[in-house]
Amino acid sequence: MTFTSRVCVADSAGDAPGMAIREYRLVVEGELSDPAGRAFEGMTLTRELGKTVLTGSVRDQAELQGLLQRVSDLGLTLLDATALDERSES
Amino acid sequence: MARAGNVNERAGARARAPDVPTLVEAKLAAPRLRAEIVQRPRILQTLDAGDGAALTVVAAPPGYGKTTAVRDWCARREWPLAWVTLDTGDNDPVRLWRYAATAVNRVRDGLGRTALQRLSLAAPPTEGSVDELMNGVAAFGKQLVLVLDELQTVTDTECLASIDYALEHLPPSLRLITITRTDPALGLAQLRARGGLAELRTEELAFTTAEAHELLVERGRLDLDAHDVELLRARTEGWPAALFLALLWLRTVDDPGRAVREFGGDHRFVADYLSQVVLGALPEDLRSFLMRASVLGRFTAKLCDGVFGRSDSAAVLDELERSNLFIVRLERGGWLRVHSLFAEFARYHLASQEPGAAAEIHHRAAEWLRWRGLPVEAAEHATAVGDHEFIAELLVEHHLSMIRQGDARTLLRWLETLPDDTLLDHPELAAAAATAATMIGQGSIARRRFLKLVDRAHTERPERPSAYGEAVAEMVRAASVDGDVGLAVQAGRRAVELAQCSADDVLVAALAGYARALYLAGEPDEAWTTALQAVEHPDAEHRLPGHALARSTLALVAADRGRLASARMHAERAKAIVGRNGTSRSWLGANAAGALGVVLAGEGSLAEAEHELAYAEHFFRDEVATVQHAWLLVLLARVRCRRGRLAEAATTLRSADEAIAEFADGGCVAALAAEVARELEQAEARAGNGEILESPSVAELTVLRMLATNLSAREIGAELFLSPNTIRSHTRAIYHKLGVSSRSDAVARADALDLLGQTESPM
Repeated sequence: MTFTSRVCVADSAGDAPGMAIREYRLVVEGELSDPAGRAFEGMTLTRELGKTVLTGSVRDQAELQGLLQRVSDLGLTLLDATALDERSES
Repeated sequence: MARAGNVNERAGARARAPDVPTLVEAKLAAPRLRAEIVQRPRILQTLDAGDGAALTVVAAPPGYGKTTAVRDWCARREWPLAWVTLDTGDNDPVRLWRYAATAVNRVRDGLGRTALQRLSLAAPPTEGSVDELMNGVAAFGKQLVLVLDELQTVTDTECLASIDYALEHLPPSLRLITITRTDPALGLAQLRARGGLAELRTEELAFTTAEAHELLVERGRLDLDAHDVELLRARTEGWPAALFLALLWLRTVDDPGRAVREFGGDHRFVADYLSQVVLGALPEDLRSFLMRASVLGRFTAKLCDGVFGRSDSAAVLDELERSNLFIVRLERGGWLRVHSLFAEFARYHLASQEPGAAAEIHHRAAEWLRWRGLPVEAAEHATAVGDHEFIAELLVEHHLSMIRQGDARTLLRWLETLPDDTLLDHPELAAAAATAATMIGQGSIARRRFLKLVDRAHTERPERPSAYGEAVAEMVRAASVDGDVGLAVQAGRRAVELAQCSADDVLVAALAGYARALYLAGEPDEAWTTALQAVEHPDAEHRLPGHALARSTLALVAADRGRLASARMHAERAKAIVGRNGTSRSWLGANAAGALGVVLAGEGSLAEAEHELAYAEHFFRDEVATVQHAWLLVLLARVRCRRGRLAEAATTLRSADEAIAEFADGGCVAALAAEVARELEQAEARAGNGEILESPSVAELTVLRMLATNLSAREIGAELFLSPNTIRSHTRAIYHKLGVSSRSDAVARADALDLLGQTESPM
């Protein structure tokens, strides 16, 4: 079963030009519940068989490190982390 | 709501404010060991095998029983134990080592005392304090374990460097164990290669099938067969926290075996799912309590009573503890916490069921803790919910004692969380932030920002004047000088006036800052009188930063006038006040080093002078050019020139000139730079001509070449078949002819003049 829940709508309208906002995709092991998904507020949560995919825009490396920190705090196993595109170039 | 009050009332509050109890008691308490834990001899053996290693790293994700394993091992060893649980607030070497020294001092009173004394100086020397702590431990004469738990929260490079430093100076009787979720940046690969590292990692900490069987079947009395146990172990990958959760869950189901088999084919995240199930099976009251306690982090029964508005928290906590519901009891002060992984999930469940509940809990906890004299704990809760006004009020009360006790870095960290609006409401805090940014170093940009806020407060909040805040801001402007000496002098004059009128406790610092600005403006007479007023003020002994700065300035004026004995006395007093040692970073230490460097240069001890000046120069490097830094570069260039290191001197002087070009008013520095440029030119001309006072004789050249080695006079004598006395008289002659006063300077000068190669040439 695959379904998607938007934890919180990420605001992309206010992107300042030149800021290196990037779309990231993190994959962790196990299907995360909605309450625990709140740890990744602003990211879109998709559950795939035995995995949870988190996608969303990340303002800078500090924010990305914060996300990874939460992966670690919850004891999640990180399977993949990818930058999808560079939106500052558009 | 801000506390109103006129300036005098505030000044009164400042005078009465006690020293902040800056240490959180619960962080110094080891977790109490539970009687019923699963015995894991193989884990204990791994830790045993680490005897003799400088560092033990226990690294695994949360819920792997790291803390329990180390606590259990320590209990069996029966070695005295010093335990510190770190958090992100400890990204300040002063706080980190204050905790460590306090923990060690509790093993036996006195072991950490000298270190703690050093760490409460206004400019604490990290490395010197670590040395003192290691000396204390060595003097103990018995084995001792120091555990740093939650080390992953410490990421500050200076903190990690100080731990590295400690590892290099560890007495053999101390075993340092770090517990962490991520590998610390401590040069582990090198330690590993040297055999100085013991490790306990995820793979070893995971439960084996036998251990899972002991937990679930032998102790947990669950009706599971070997196949079910193995299925559960595989599904959880031996993650201890998940297995504990599974035990709690399976006790509530009718057919545990079937439940396990269903769970085995499930794809939900184990810890997440099981926490949900376990919480859901609890009676409403217990569940609500546990989720709320998870928000508190660390708590006592009384704190729970106060925050949750009940009176039976002690009984509820006992029940949760009896039911193995992840309550960890600490060994001191009645503190408890919920296991961090379980607390994580419990908090998210509370947030989804009762949005806003967590914020309310933090607010109430902050208030409760504040009125019980625990400002640090209170601030932690206020920070969690961004209660800026609360933090501001706390800091209004405590910022002065924090700066005086060496907590500038922690103070700045808190002040940086406050928005401009809050700082405009409390200009004294913006001024304190400017002070803290200066004292830590490399803070020119932050300092400018905070000083500007004080100015803005003056115009935008005329209804809340803060003569005190203004006095401090002007004092910082004067003492730090930045890029305009004229402005710094004006600021200094104004700081003194304001302090005399209504902010008396800033007066010593204001005079000291004014004196420093005057000195750099090229007004040594006025600088001398002003600095003298600072050190002769009746409060001078209690105003250490101002006192130390004024002493440094007195030393500089005296040295410039050739009164070296007086200069040395003042420089040494400055150094004694700041307790500087090693290469630890502090603004006051750097100022004292600059003054001592000038005195040493005056005395002809050029190598030592260069060492002190280079330390000071390094500290004052910043993203922007400042007069203090340019001035130190010029002094350094002069010493390097006199040591015959002409190329280096020229480079140093060039950096100074580049900075000087940027200043609105560089004061005396430009003239000093021109003077050094002339001196350098002459030296270059002399070197070009191979000119020296008198050429060394052939015998002296032979000795000179030996001076470039590490050999002693006796060894050189043996090498050349001469008596040590002859070597010494040759050495004296060489010093005289080269115009130097030390062995290293003689070698440097000889090298610059290309004298060392001469005797070696085949000609």
